[in-house]
Amino acid sequence: MHSNNYTLGFVFIVTVILGTLLSFTKENVRDLQEYNLKADVKKNILRSLNFVETESEPWSNEVVERIFNKNVQAFCVNTNGDLVDCILEEVDTERNIEVLPVYLKVVDNKTEGIAVPVAGKGLWSTVFGYIALEPDTDTVLGIQFYKHGETPGLGGEVEKAWFTNNFVGKKIRSNDDKVIGIEVLKGKVDSSNPYSMHQVDGISGATVTGKGVGSFLKEDLGRYESYFNKVRADGTI
Amino acid sequence: MELFNSESKKIINDPINVNNPISLQVLGICSALAVTIRLDQAIIMTLAVIFVLCSSNVILSLIRDYIPSRVRIVIMLSVIASLVSVVDELLQAYLYDMSKQLSVFVGLIITNCIIMGRAEAFALKNGPSKAFLDGLGNGLGYGMIIIIVSFFRELFGAGTITLPDGGAGYVLFSIPEAWYAAGYENIGLLVLSPGAFFILGLVIWTQREIFGIEEGE
Repeated sequence: MHSNNYTLGFVFIVTVILGTLLSFTKENVRDLQEYNLKADVKKNILRSLNFVETESEPWSNEVVERIFNKNVQAFCVNTNGDLVDCILEEVDTERNIEVLPVYLKVVDNKTEGIAVPVAGKGLWSTVFGYIALEPDTDTVLGIQFYKHGETPGLGGEVEKAWFTNNFVGKKIRSNDDKVIGIEVLKGKVDSSNPYSMHQVDGISGATVTGKGVGSFLKEDLGRYESYFNKVRADGTI
Repeated sequence: MELFNSESKKIINDPINVNNPISLQVLGICSALAVTIRLDQAIIMTLAVIFVLCSSNVILSLIRDYIPSRVRIVIMLSVIASLVSVVDELLQAYLYDMSKQLSVFVGLIITNCIIMGRAEAFALKNGPSKAFLDGLGNGLGYGMIIIIVSFFRELFGAGTITLPDGGAGYVLFSIPEAWYAAGYENIGLLVLSPGAFFILGLVIWTQREIFGIEEGE
């Protein structure tokens, strides 16, 4: 049996060594990790804006950075649709609903799409994504969910192409031009229904996740309504 | 000491075959169910587990004579937890897509019973080189099972076979569209955890048949 002092000393030394090892590792890889995180955000914005990864040029961090810098303009607006100063990486759309990031897809000086972040409760977790609209601020260009903790195979299907592809071409504005978002149905869309252009097929076994997606799309897109109206009125972005 | 004498071979081979940690000792089932949806995840997980298992076995074996027995569990846990955190940090830096898919399960290697089990049962009683071989053997035994399970789960559940490539995975094979058009369907159940139980059950059955192992009366 070792003495108490020996035991304490031993534990102390082990702790110091392991602690040093951990902080050393973290210090060495921190920059790389942060770079990965930023590139991942950009990757998802690009996907929502309908940029497609090709076999010949897989999206490494550098490629993503290049495409993003070349084709995407990022800035912030407020709920009145006016430009405001912001540091995009520090904008927390969950806490601060006054500063709204906007990502424009500009190819050859022509605006082709507007992406905005959306997030809200699914069943178990907060689902994060980007939705992109065409310049008419009505038609959906693409949608991408990149982070969630929903059940794999059920609610987790929100990130799959078969689900997100259904949003493409749908309309987020009602007949009287209000931003109403897209509703995720329980079951299939009935295309004879006049509202079907605002609806997408649900995921079987994940009704609650679908409802959540529908309601945060409506809420988050609603915040951009003034901005979208300006874009539509001016024709400029 | 000769590296591959019969005793060393036994230390490596036993946990792969007759004393496999998953299929015969039924340890580490949690991660075996969680990370076997895709083959590439299983392969990276296997490498991570082998690394942690070998290093923790060697480190603990080196200091085994100095560890006060009253606090040995705490020491074992801190060594294992630190190694796992290192792996987790490295994955986030160098294999970001993979670390996103494996998410919490890398961290949960800490609670994988195989690692604590081998530390307590083997590393604290044997020298570092034997402890290393024991770690390697058990890691391979674990890996073999989860790779077999994930192969079948991905093939029949998602219709693809994906290898790790540093990014989102390299799709080696996918079931041709024509099959789907002809009425073939993926088995959705295999993507869910219960699907892993079925495959794992079959693997355990097969392995016990091969080695003629029966439950003791």
